Amino acid sequence: MKTAWRESDCLNNPTDMEKCWSLTQVMSEASRCLLCHDAPCSKACPAGTDPATFIRKLRLRNVKGAIRTVRENNALAGVCAVVCPTEQLCQKACVAAGIDRPIDIGRIQRFLVEHGWQIKFNPLEKAANGSGRVAVVGSGPAGLACAAEVARNGITAEIFEGMEKPGGVLRYGVPSFRLHPEFLDRELADIKALGVKITCNKKIPAGGIEKLLDKGYDAVFYAPGTWRPVTVDIPGMDLKNVLTARDFLAAMRSGDQKRIAALVKGKNVAVYGGGSVAMDAATTAKAMGANKVYVVYRRSLREMPAARHDVDMALANNVSFRIMSMVTALVGEKGKLTGLEGIETDWKKPGDTSAAGLVTVPGTEFRLKIDVFVSALGYQAEPEAKAACPGIKFTSKGLVETRRDGCSTSHPCIFTGGDIARGPALVVEAVADGKAAGQHIVKMLAAGSKPVAAKKGGR
Amino acid sequence: MARIRDLSIEICGVKFLNPFLLSSSPVSNTAEMVARAFEAGWGGVAYKTIAHDRTKIIHPSPRMAPYNYDNKNLVALQNVEQTTDRPMADNWADIRWLKKHYPKHVMIVSIMGFSLEEWVELAKMGEDNGADMLELNFSCPHMTVEGSGMKVGQAMELIEKFTSAVRKTVKIPILAKLTSNVTDITVPALFAQRGGADGITAINTVRALTEVGLDDFVPRPNVHGKGAMSGMSGPAIKPIGLKCVTELAQCRELKIPIIGCGGAETWVDIAEYLMCGASAVQVTTGIIHYGQRIVEDMAEGLSDWMDDKKFKNLAQVVGKSLKYTVPTDAFDLSRQGRADFDLDKCIGCGQCYIVCQDAGGQGLGWDSEKRRPVPDNDHCLSCMICGMVCPVEGLVTYRHVPGKKEIVPPVMKARPRA
Repeated sequence: MKTAWRESDCLNNPTDMEKCWSLTQVMSEASRCLLCHDAPCSKACPAGTDPATFIRKLRLRNVKGAIRTVRENNALAGVCAVVCPTEQLCQKACVAAGIDRPIDIGRIQRFLVEHGWQIKFNPLEKAANGSGRVAVVGSGPAGLACAAEVARNGITAEIFEGMEKPGGVLRYGVPSFRLHPEFLDRELADIKALGVKITCNKKIPAGGIEKLLDKGYDAVFYAPGTWRPVTVDIPGMDLKNVLTARDFLAAMRSGDQKRIAALVKGKNVAVYGGGSVAMDAATTAKAMGANKVYVVYRRSLREMPAARHDVDMALANNVSFRIMSMVTALVGEKGKLTGLEGIETDWKKPGDTSAAGLVTVPGTEFRLKIDVFVSALGYQAEPEAKAACPGIKFTSKGLVETRRDGCSTSHPCIFTGGDIARGPALVVEAVADGKAAGQHIVKMLAAGSKPVAAKKGGR
Repeated sequence: MARIRDLSIEICGVKFLNPFLLSSSPVSNTAEMVARAFEAGWGGVAYKTIAHDRTKIIHPSPRMAPYNYDNKNLVALQNVEQTTDRPMADNWADIRWLKKHYPKHVMIVSIMGFSLEEWVELAKMGEDNGADMLELNFSCPHMTVEGSGMKVGQAMELIEKFTSAVRKTVKIPILAKLTSNVTDITVPALFAQRGGADGITAINTVRALTEVGLDDFVPRPNVHGKGAMSGMSGPAIKPIGLKCVTELAQCRELKIPIIGCGGAETWVDIAEYLMCGASAVQVTTGIIHYGQRIVEDMAEGLSDWMDDKKFKNLAQVVGKSLKYTVPTDAFDLSRQGRADFDLDKCIGCGQCYIVCQDAGGQGLGWDSEKRRPVPDNDHCLSCMICGMVCPVEGLVTYRHVPGKKEIVPPVMKARPRA
């Protein structure tokens, strides 16, 4: 079958995703699975993915059943399969590592999702008996998961998205060689098929969240994400060609590839940070024709939060890694960036590998000649997020304060999840939040006892 | 370089360079193929069964289908292959050519007559064209010619009649190739012996039906909308072959040698056939799966094993396991044991626990904290299924426990915990 999204065997292609495994590859991999008792992999996923069951089903040639297990659990099973740092979650728990290596659960899951699309088997169904209306603010992984969950229970879900297209971080924060927009659109199509309505270019104004409740929505799921790049206070951040990974990657996805190409082609680029976003930015820069691309990271390879797959991708694209190194200043001429100054780091004492445990090593100062600097040091909440929803409590960091369940807020009809509740977190954690919040909302509406909106603030 | 020892053996007065033979099948269809096999190291051939030109043989298309298990392909092979479809003259010319160029390699010519006269005529032609031995095909389970192949192998008087007619015609040794599709394979073997056979080849393919299409409902191979019960070969039938060879070798009345056949791919399979009483082993499906090259590993592996076990020659291996193969009533039931776990090797998959609960004696507990089985020796039935599913080599072994009584499950008293 021809897939809608572009696939390639070539790691260097800036837009194509890695090829989906074939049935033969998947069966071969599944045959290594030990079919464990009380399988650890199935306890390791924040979103409750059950690889032990879907791999067993696949092994016993119950392919549709395997697709059912994957997709009924997670409306974004395809997205998670390709962006999840599986080696840190389900695959980390895999017992088969005791024999040779963990089962590649991510690739098996991706196959099952795509195979379902191929054979036109969609196990996601909408219940006939639900009622109610839910507004979902933000169409990132949390919002989509929540909308899908309530929609499957027969409740009307409407998503409001501020950007031009839906997907949030999945569309504007992940490069297409990891998650092609057409792949995302395919998964979104199944969510829309549940009756979920997505309205884009709809920014929620200050105080707008509570107003949704007045407009007849029974509940609101508030998941705008965190979009404000974390900045670092070093000299030279105001120079030209110093930008954030958010702007860099978003430009790629908004069709502004020419501008990025013009910026980096034949130039030296430094990316500061060690997360998947940093890897994505570095690989993208290389793929768009940059000369030297450096990743500068304060800690060691071992502490890098990036998924192993993304690090490998950067390495395969000849990105140079300057680990245990800190940027101390950006230098320029006539307002334009020309280089960076850095110093190497070490641990204050062995065993403490936290960022606070770092110390700079005198005499290791270095200079890199660079033309573009991309800071990829993570994201924090935007002040607008709080302004849009003054009726609920926020933390000092601007994140929504949640109850112990992780998704209820100080307002009984407003729920939250994803980065705005956790701070920067994994896609799969956002999915878990959206699903959990969806289940809360379904329960609340089914009980018919819609809490009185006036009872706000009580904890 | 591999060091291959002398693996020769004499069967029915004919010297075999080694016990590795091509069986009568697609792999021995032409001189070109057989010559390459001899060059690769095969010691002889049972040349593809020759039938008389007067019956035109046309092969069904397609003629084979695989039987796969999990992601392992060709665990067995289902086929509706017939006798040769080449003109007799071509085959005789090829056989003469082979005998001329490979005089030391054993040429067994397989024949199948569709009448008494044809058996006699084919036998004579075989001998005249240089066959060292004849093999009478009484066992093809899927002939498209009525009343032939396995139908003969299931009609005892016909076996004796045809063998005896051939015996009167030729001087060279005669093998009767038998089917396992009978209650007791020693019965047709004794009829063949009475007819004058000098040896037995066992077994031909096993009549079977391996797969049915889920979209077209047609058994495989799907011959244009129709399937049929036909011959199954490959590793899956080796246990049946070993059983039949052992039965023949243990039959006191049967005095003639046996050539084994059925599912052999490696030197281990060859060694097993020899120990069960075969003097040589024929191979087809192993070649269909991997090519003629497998003989190199058969020769090297068998040589090393014979060195390790201090066998002086191949004949010493033949029948080695027979005295240990007994009726089940000869077992010493007073000796009981249990599964022994080397938990230092355990990786914690818990498959042993699952199968012991669901199919064994509930003689294993499960420590979910440590993810390790907890052996309960008082309940172990020593069925050993825990060891069969364990992915770690040598973790579970059988241990004899002197004085241990047999374990019998108690009567149900309380509902098991959910």
